[in-house]
Amino acid sequence: MTTIIAIPTGVKIFNWLFTMFRGRIWFAAPMYFTVGFIITFSIGGMTGVLLAVPGADFVLHNSLFVIAHFHNVIIGGVVFACMAGLSFWCPKALGFKMNEGLGKASFWFWLVGFYVAFMPLYVLGFMGATRRISHYDFSTGWHPLFVVAFIGMLLIAIGIGCQVLQILVSVIKAKQNQDYTGDPWDGRTLEWATSSPPPFYNFARIPTVTTLEPHWDAKHNATPIFDESKPYEDIHMPRNTGVGAIIGLFAFTLSFGLIWYIWWLVAASGLAIFACVVARSLDHDIDYYVPAEEVERIENELMLRRNKA
Amino acid sequence: MTSQIINNHSAEHHDHDAEATAKVAFGFWIYIMSDCILFSCFFASYAVLHTNVFGGAGPKELFDLNYVMVETFLLLTSSFTYGLAMLAAHKNNKAQALTWLFITFLLGLGFIGMEINEFHHLIIEGNGPSRSAFLSSFFGLVGLHGLHVTCGLIWMALLMFQVSTRGLTAMVNRKLACLSLFWHFLDIIWIFVFTVVYLMGVM
Repeated sequence: MTTIIAIPTGVKIFNWLFTMFRGRIWFAAPMYFTVGFIITFSIGGMTGVLLAVPGADFVLHNSLFVIAHFHNVIIGGVVFACMAGLSFWCPKALGFKMNEGLGKASFWFWLVGFYVAFMPLYVLGFMGATRRISHYDFSTGWHPLFVVAFIGMLLIAIGIGCQVLQILVSVIKAKQNQDYTGDPWDGRTLEWATSSPPPFYNFARIPTVTTLEPHWDAKHNATPIFDESKPYEDIHMPRNTGVGAIIGLFAFTLSFGLIWYIWWLVAASGLAIFACVVARSLDHDIDYYVPAEEVERIENELMLRRNKA
Repeated sequence: MTSQIINNHSAEHHDHDAEATAKVAFGFWIYIMSDCILFSCFFASYAVLHTNVFGGAGPKELFDLNYVMVETFLLLTSSFTYGLAMLAAHKNNKAQALTWLFITFLLGLGFIGMEINEFHHLIIEGNGPSRSAFLSSFFGLVGLHGLHVTCGLIWMALLMFQVSTRGLTAMVNRKLACLSLFWHFLDIIWIFVFTVVYLMGVM
């Protein structure tokens, strides 16, 4: 099991490293979190491999070592990466850039706080501390390390505070930090070739991809990805529907009922899901066309906005 | 002039029907592949657990091959009749398509009825899913297939309604094609259930 997890993950880490290798790295907040993620995640992965040694596993089972390991992986691998993604794609999704200063402050508190909080847990695991204890004797000698971990927890709390503040400040100052270019990071991939946020139909013309990094080459090597000579065409669009989300909601209540033997809830949720599926199946009006004139109007408006910036 | 533009547009949009069919079929194949993974997990657990009878009855004592043989024939025939329904739909013969769909529906219903009867007998004799690991995995695997067939039957009833009210439009034909994939897929899964659970169990 550990081999199945560790080897592909190791390959992924080399992927990420070689993506940065010899690149011109721009140290903005998302990049901070990305680098923090790669390092923290690798360390967490390696302590996981340690747990695959049967002798070590026998000693460390249910100890704080395991807790430190999986937080090392989850915080490094999921939380940091989510935060990187959040500030990286925020301009594309919502049209404004997030506050850099608070993002970086959040990163430093998170990173330092994480190591201060969880490294002592590895040691405590070796000293025999198990998870979820409400009381330990002073003679165990665990107390100083638990105090260190507590300080780390406070640092993480400040990091979370910075993150919340960053979101609030970014939303309040959204007007000043509008991204009119659609390409705030001088990006290489196609999503940055659209406006921020993109129109609901995404691309007005289907991009023609001839190189590995089409958007970058369009900017710097003059390989156009959009054939601007052709007129706009009608765009085929699916109609919006909430059915998927509603079914998901009832699937949740269904599973809840099944787990806790609440049979009336199971029956009600099952019927509701059935009704949703029937309603969806009977609805044949599920797509429409955005007329070419409408596309042209929206594209011209976006062009004006871009030129103004 | 204006009418010409509109005509051009509709001709263009008509091409999108073929494109939509290809996309929907591709999406449905991906769903079927993911369902394959689900079934393979249930097969794997059955393979691991089928000897753990916990002092209770095993496959040899519980399964009646003749009964399951009839079930199998009902389902296999229903796949054939669904194929006939699809042929009729391709020929744009609504009445014939509906007839074959209805026959397919009845055969599927017969299969599910027999399965429920089998489950009912097992449970009242004290061989329910909580009796042993073998029976848990048996009810899990065969029940999962039965649940799929039940959903397929509901889907089929819905499509019969749509064929009769809206006719064989491009969209209804797309739906029929998806159910066709689904129905044949369930048939293939059943062949494996029949072989792995019943034949190998009784042998």
